[in-house]
Amino acid sequence: MPEKKVRVLVGTRKGTYIVESDTRRKSWKVHPVSNAGREVYHVSADPRHPGTVYAAVNSGFWGPIMYRSSNWGKSWAEIATPLTPVQKERKPAFDPENPTTPPARPVVNLWHVAPGHPSEPDTVFVGVDPHMLFRSDDRGASWAPVPGINDHPTKDKWGPGAGGACLHTILIDPRDRKRMHVGLSAAGTFRTDDGGEHWRPTNQKVEAPFNPDPYPEVGQCVHHVVLDAANPDIAYRQDHGGMYVHRNAMDGPWERIGKLKGGPKDDFGFAVTTSASLAGKAFFVPLVGEARTTPNGGFQVLQWTEKTRSWKVLMSPKAFPGDFGVQREGITSDPLEPGGIYVGTTTGQLILSPDAGKTWRQVPYQFPGIHSVEAAV
Amino acid sequence: MARVRLDAMLREFASRSSVDSTAGTVAALFDELETQFPRLRFKLRDETGALRKYVRVFVDGEDISRTPGLGASLAHAREVDILHSIAGG
Repeated sequence: MPEKKVRVLVGTRKGTYIVESDTRRKSWKVHPVSNAGREVYHVSADPRHPGTVYAAVNSGFWGPIMYRSSNWGKSWAEIATPLTPVQKERKPAFDPENPTTPPARPVVNLWHVAPGHPSEPDTVFVGVDPHMLFRSDDRGASWAPVPGINDHPTKDKWGPGAGGACLHTILIDPRDRKRMHVGLSAAGTFRTDDGGEHWRPTNQKVEAPFNPDPYPEVGQCVHHVVLDAANPDIAYRQDHGGMYVHRNAMDGPWERIGKLKGGPKDDFGFAVTTSASLAGKAFFVPLVGEARTTPNGGFQVLQWTEKTRSWKVLMSPKAFPGDFGVQREGITSDPLEPGGIYVGTTTGQLILSPDAGKTWRQVPYQFPGIHSVEAAV
Repeated sequence: MARVRLDAMLREFASRSSVDSTAGTVAALFDELETQFPRLRFKLRDETGALRKYVRVFVDGEDISRTPGLGASLAHAREVDILHSIAGG
């Protein structure tokens, strides 16, 4: 039986990288760059179709372009790209006959690709800027907008966010294909229980410190959310307004764990991860100051453990000295035992632990600034 | 009839570096090009029909990208160049 491979799919400012190892995760091979020169916001493997990888590529010249590979990134084909409904008459963005009508907005950037539920093997979701969710039922050959969230009644209260007005988090409950959660910058999280037809905000007790009402129904700038692999009713949230956990499928108030004893001095950040072998734990990267870099002059990852409700700093700042930025999809983990944790920084370092955070090493390759990392086994 | 030249960057999406066209306007020319080269669709214009930021269109040497834009007439045009402005970093 051939040995399993572990692949880290890296989306960078200048292309897609596939970084490969075996299950020991000690030495790594960096394959040549694909989609060279283009911003790749997210690269996502489809576990239902081994070898299939999607890349959300954003070109300053050509606009957003979706790509799919069927051979782990050795070659890529352009597939259909989610776009706002095309106006057949090609009306101008500003309609002088209807001056108060909001201007038509194109898709600016593709943010996140999420394979659908295992019971719907050809379904894929993409989140974009501006604040829209698209669904494909033919593996990306065509896309349809999901109006239940795209035209949500609270939309006029959503903000743009510094990185754009993006729908960046898409979570499908593994137990129920009709239940999903999405996260939108400067809008918050929303949940559906009917496959996307209706959505309700799920932001109770999440602080929006920039808002006149610090606990609004919507408008929180959620950065990233993940579901606990052992219990998908548990969610870990990195928000502009802190680090949170929810224990009831986001129904009801969140608990701000970032302010608990042992937590970071500042619980700002962008990224959070957990995985099947790390169930009951979440890993955050705290960022401080206007620079939004790791504290204390060094790289840092924090571990939250649900069972003991405790925090642990996983390395000394001397392990990787410097000031590191990590974006919302810049940390991921694999389901192997012990769990691997992977962090990509905005300055192009890929730092990983093959043993659930006990030891850390850097892949000896200088990447362009990293937007996202995903692990596939 | 106008000779339409496509810059080297467009080679990824269009298999030729030049075509001839009798399109009446730049917008109609783009419709023709997108029919002939389907991968060009949404690369020069976004889905609202707006010219993408770094695309420049010259008609007989004059940059019409902003004014008069995609409605520019090609009735008497001899040469159309579709270029990309230098950008990046």
